[in-house]
Amino acid sequence: MNPGLELKEKIISTIFISAAVLSSLLLLGMLLFILRESWPIWSQVGAMDFLSGTAWRPVSTPPQFGIAPMLISTMWVAGGALLIAAPLGFGCAIFLAEFAPAPLPAMLRPVLNMLTGIPSVVYGFLGAAVLIKFFELRFDLASGESLFAASLILAIMILPFITSNSEAALRSVAPEYRQAGMALGVSREYMALRVLVPLARRGMMGALVLAFGRAMGETMAVLMVAGNTLMLPFSWFNKGEPLPALIALELGSSIPGSIHYQALFAAGLVLIVMVIAVNFGVNILLRRLKSGVKQF
Amino acid sequence: MRSRVAADLLLKSFFWLSGLFILLVLLAIILYLIWRGGPYISSQFIVGSPAGTPLGSEGGIFPAIKGTLWLVLLALVFSIVPGLLTAVYLSEYGSSGRLAEMISLLVQSMSGVPSIVTGLFVYALGVVTLGWGISLLAGGLALAIMVFPVIVVSSRDALLAVDENYRLVANSLGVAKSYTLRRVILPRAAAGILAGILLALGYAAGATAPIMVTAAAIAASSSGALLEPVMALPYHLYILFNEHISINQAYATALVLVILLLLINTLALWLYSLQERINSR
Repeated sequence: MNPGLELKEKIISTIFISAAVLSSLLLLGMLLFILRESWPIWSQVGAMDFLSGTAWRPVSTPPQFGIAPMLISTMWVAGGALLIAAPLGFGCAIFLAEFAPAPLPAMLRPVLNMLTGIPSVVYGFLGAAVLIKFFELRFDLASGESLFAASLILAIMILPFITSNSEAALRSVAPEYRQAGMALGVSREYMALRVLVPLARRGMMGALVLAFGRAMGETMAVLMVAGNTLMLPFSWFNKGEPLPALIALELGSSIPGSIHYQALFAAGLVLIVMVIAVNFGVNILLRRLKSGVKQF
Repeated sequence: MRSRVAADLLLKSFFWLSGLFILLVLLAIILYLIWRGGPYISSQFIVGSPAGTPLGSEGGIFPAIKGTLWLVLLALVFSIVPGLLTAVYLSEYGSSGRLAEMISLLVQSMSGVPSIVTGLFVYALGVVTLGWGISLLAGGLALAIMVFPVIVVSSRDALLAVDENYRLVANSLGVAKSYTLRRVILPRAAAGILAGILLALGYAAGATAPIMVTAAAIAASSSGALLEPVMALPYHLYILFNEHISINQAYATALVLVILLLLINTLALWLYSLQERINSR
C-alpha cells in the first residue's frame, strides 16, 4: 500500500475510535455532572438520612429531604409490574417458541413491536382515563389511583420486552434437547416446562431483570396513575410517588442552585445508579450464559 | 397418567391464552382510541391551532405536530453522526478488543438510563448552566442522548450481519478498508441502519418525560426557533388530560400520535424484512 493511502486509512480509523470513545464517555459525564449538582445533599444531609428519611418537605424551614417513600413506591410499582407481567410474558414466549401454529408467530411478533412502539404517555392516559375510572366506579372509591394501578399499566408496557427476550432465550436452546425429549416420548408441555425452560433459565431471568430496570425508570405512565402523594405507602393499594414522577413534577418549580434543586439531582442519581446496577448485573449474567452454552 | 394429561391441557391453554392476550391488548388499545378519538379528528383538527377557553378545548393540534417534528429532526441531527461512527467502530474496527467491549458495555448501560434522568441532565447543563432556557435546542439534545444507544446498537447489528466473505474478499484484493466500508459494507447494511433510525425516530416522537422538563410548553407557535419552547404531541396529550382541558381532544390527540408511531414502526419492520432478504441473497 502506498504511504499516502496508509496515512488516510489511519486517519479514518482514528476518527472512528475517537468518536466511539467520546460518545460513550457521555454516560460517565452525565453521572459526574449529576453527582456534582447533587453534592451538597450528600455532604450536608448525608446519604443515610437522605435514603431512609420518610419526610419530603423541600420548601419548609428547615427543609426535610427523605426519599424513602419514593424509593419504596418505585420498588413496589416495578416489583408489582414484574409479578403480573412475568407469568404472562413467559407463557407467551413459550407459546411463540413451541406451540403457536405456523402463521401465528409471524403475526404476533409485529404485534409485540407495535406494543413497544406505543408511547408511555398513551399507556398512562388510557390507564388514568379508563382503568382508574373503572376502579372508581366498580369499587366505589373517591379516587382510584394506586401503586397497583401503576403496576398494571407498567406490566402491559414491559410485557413485550419480557416476551421477545425470553423467546430468544428459548429458541437458543440446542435442538438436541428437543430431539432427545421427543425420542423419550414426553409431551410437548412437559418438555417445554421441564427441559426448555430450565435450559433457558438464565436468559429468561435476564429478560426479567432488564424489564425491572425499565419499569423503575418509567415516568409518564406512573406519574398519571400512581396518585402522587408523598406519604409512605404501606400496601400495594396505597398511593405513592415513585422517584421519576417526583423529579418530573418538581424540577420545573425548584429554583436552580437551591437545596431543593440539588435534592432532585440526588434523587436522580439514586435512580440512575439503581438502574445501571441492574443492567450490569444482567450483563454479567448473560456473559456467564454464553460460556455455559458452549460447554454442551 | 390422567393427572398428567390434565396438567398438560391446563398448561397448553395457559400458553395459548397468554399468546392471544397480547394480540387482544393491542387490538383493544387501537380500537378503543379509534372509537373515542376518531369522531373528533377532522382536517381542521390536524391543521388548526389550539383554541377555546381553556386553551386547547377546541381547535387543532398543528403546532404540537410541528413541534414534535422539529424535536425529532434535531434529535436525529445530533445523534446520527456520532451513533453511526460508534457503530462502525464497534463492528469494523474494534471487533474483539478490550476497548470495544468497554464501549459496548457503556452504550448498553446508556440505553438503560431512565429518560427522566436524561432530561434532568440536559436541564442542568443546557437549560440552566448554558442559559438556553426551556427550548427546542435543549429538548432536541435530550432526545438525541436518549436515542443514541438505539442507533448504535441497531446499526452495529446491521453491519455485523453483512456476510464476512465480503470483507475477506475485499481485503485479499488489497482494497483499502475505508473503501470497502463505503462501497460494499455500508450499502449492504443500509436498509437495516435506516430501520434502526426510524425506530429511534418513533421512540423520540413518543417520549414525554425528557421534553417535559427541557422543551415543552402548553402553548407555543413551534416555529423552529432553537431557543424558544415548543409544543409537542405527547406533552399536549398529557396537558389536555391532566389539566382537565378536554377529554375528547385528548383521545383524538392520542389517536393521531399512535397512528403516527404505528406507521413509523411498520415502515421500520418492512425495512428490517427487506434487510433480511438482502442478507440471505
